[in-house]
Amino acid sequence: MVRPGTCAIGVTGPARYFGGEEALARKITDAVAALGLACRAGVADGLFAAQLAARASADRAANGAADQAPGGPAGRVPDRAGQPWVIVASGGTPAFLAPYPVTALDVPELTDLLPRLGIWTLGDFARLPAAEAANRFGLPGARAHRLARGLDPRPLAPRQPAADLSVHAEFDPPAGQAEPVVFVAKALAEQMHAGLASRGLACVRVQVQVTCEDGQDITRLWRHDGLLSALAVAERVRWQLDGWRASQDARRGEPGSKDPGAPRWGPGRGDADDGVPAGGIIRLRLIPDQLVRDEGRQLGLWGDAVISDRVARAAARVQAMLGHEAVTRPVLAGGRDPAEQVTLVPFGDSRPPLRPAGRPWPGRIPAPAPATVYPVPLAALVTDDSGDAVAVTGRAVVSAPPARLSVAGGPWLTVTAWAGPWPVTERWWAPASTRRRARFQLVTEDGNAWLAAVQDGQWLIEASYD
Amino acid sequence: MGAELAQVTSLLSRQDEARPLSGGGALSDAGPLSDAGPLPGDSVVPGAGVLPVLPALRELLPRGLQRGSVVATEDWALLCLALAAGTSNAGSWCAIAGLPDLGVAAAADAGLDPDRLLLIAEPGAAWPQVVASLLDGCDLVLLRPPSRPSAQVRRRVEAVTRRHGGVLVVVGDWAGAQCRLTVAHREWTGIGAGHGRLRARRAQVVVEGRGAAARPRAQWLWLPGPDGTAAVVAGDIGALVIGEPASAAWALAGGCWPCGARTGCPASRTLARRRGHSSRW
Repeated sequence: MVRPGTCAIGVTGPARYFGGEEALARKITDAVAALGLACRAGVADGLFAAQLAARASADRAANGAADQAPGGPAGRVPDRAGQPWVIVASGGTPAFLAPYPVTALDVPELTDLLPRLGIWTLGDFARLPAAEAANRFGLPGARAHRLARGLDPRPLAPRQPAADLSVHAEFDPPAGQAEPVVFVAKALAEQMHAGLASRGLACVRVQVQVTCEDGQDITRLWRHDGLLSALAVAERVRWQLDGWRASQDARRGEPGSKDPGAPRWGPGRGDADDGVPAGGIIRLRLIPDQLVRDEGRQLGLWGDAVISDRVARAAARVQAMLGHEAVTRPVLAGGRDPAEQVTLVPFGDSRPPLRPAGRPWPGRIPAPAPATVYPVPLAALVTDDSGDAVAVTGRAVVSAPPARLSVAGGPWLTVTAWAGPWPVTERWWAPASTRRRARFQLVTEDGNAWLAAVQDGQWLIEASYD
Repeated sequence: MGAELAQVTSLLSRQDEARPLSGGGALSDAGPLSDAGPLPGDSVVPGAGVLPVLPALRELLPRGLQRGSVVATEDWALLCLALAAGTSNAGSWCAIAGLPDLGVAAAADAGLDPDRLLLIAEPGAAWPQVVASLLDGCDLVLLRPPSRPSAQVRRRVEAVTRRHGGVLVVVGDWAGAQCRLTVAHREWTGIGAGHGRLRARRAQVVVEGRGAAARPRAQWLWLPGPDGTAAVVAGDIGALVIGEPASAAWALAGGCWPCGARTGCPASRTLARRRGHSSRW
């Protein structure tokens, strides 16, 4: 397959088997025409010439099977009119190509240049010495010169289609409960692992695809690394189904389902009345992703941050209770504000942080780091001595010293010390994530210290140092 | 890691004592190693019975954290983190449950290794089971219970803690706790009225316990110190001398924030024009 609409095959073997190139071309064009598609064939030495030959046969058909094809090249072809193929005899390819204009090469910089040098046809171009063509026109020129001489720029590379290592199971009647699906998933995972092992392969990730009766696909990739047992894969299928059910419930707006024991995709559960199509699961498919050679795993002797079995077991048990995303490991990342400086990665996954740590990040909050970082900043009110709200001008000057602070509608606290404003404009080139804040550190009478910020005239509490 | 090394070293020395004439070296004929105690991977903390604490907390908790005990602290994140840091330093895994707003950067500064940390932001209604599972894998679990536990739940969690030999640090109230840490006084240094920045905090930490530790002990600590870790306050308030890092120069009030110049910086004028900085923040 060269590109959509064009397929190339080596004909030496098949032509001998089917009794000649013409018989083969007839067989192929007939077979494609039987599908109701228009088809032209060209046989020549090399892909480029074969494509031109196929196009020549198409042009000839378009001109009402006239003997004279445009440009006249078809006239030299030993061929009969009215047939949807053109066959260039072996060794006759340079002669077949010679009358074509250089525009047939489809190399814009050359097809502009060559006619200005007085080279109009591929034959003229092919008469140039190959070394001179490469000297003058570089690599594209050398390649075009090979084409013009009827050679291939590179030989056709046939390849074996890869074996399908995915496994699947059908459920008839559709499975309404998670249990049978998980049970089958374990057997499927064993089958998949056996298939991989027989080829000496391991997969980096495994894709779990669950198809419902209504045609809906629940697909997710899970990290595998050749480490998961069949049971662990089955467990991930269960989490995927549970997570999907939770999201369905959330979409319905009733977090506590009527019958928490039974899954929501069961058939005959009268789900059609609230507009969400529901049906049983009809197919489960496990697809190994990113196959690599299984080289086993060698653990470091000293000092590797290896997750011991004990910890992995405990984390897996909590994940089974609360879901895959509930157990996370922190990865330190870069960033200016404290919330950006950590990425939480679900246990068992590996995800590099979005912003790498260890870069300078000018303008970041100086140490010590706040011990409490609010995922969503709290709204706050800050006033001066006379009770007016404190503002920050465009030149980062405070309107008045902050005197009192109220966090999230709480009681008013007297500000005993403060520092700031520290203005920072981040990512002004990306309108979606741009942020323009002036930060303060405030210490209140109860001994607590806060990291506050002014954005669009609003005071926010980003973190607390307690 | 250090513990593993220590154990292996002691194993080797024991072999040497047993066969002084064997010429050393040959590990294979040195006899079975399995009866020499648990393997290095099994118990990561030496000295069965206690988990170590940071040097700064040794006067307050001279015997470390008793395995199987429950320690309660005030709702005060940095104190809990400092308590857990000693265990994490010694190579154990820690889990933190029910603290979705924990500052991980502060935890790392305090001495907790983020590589050996599990976070469960929302343990939910089944938190006693979650804690039991975590105690099976981790030596120290830091927990803020989502709901006030009944006496029955509390006893069950304490029993699980004893069985697994871990330490449960509870943020908040816990009636059966072996010891309880509170903060009596605290004050920040390095910040004034419109100048400076937060540098460190002196905090008076009080430990009250049961039984032998019934007499409250108090000590002044830097919590956090200038580098984020906990340290003992030595001498006067003015004993802490900190240099001004260059990167904080712009933070001084009234200066130009891109370059740190006090006044008349061309960068700030250009930026102000180009980015519309004349509007209020």
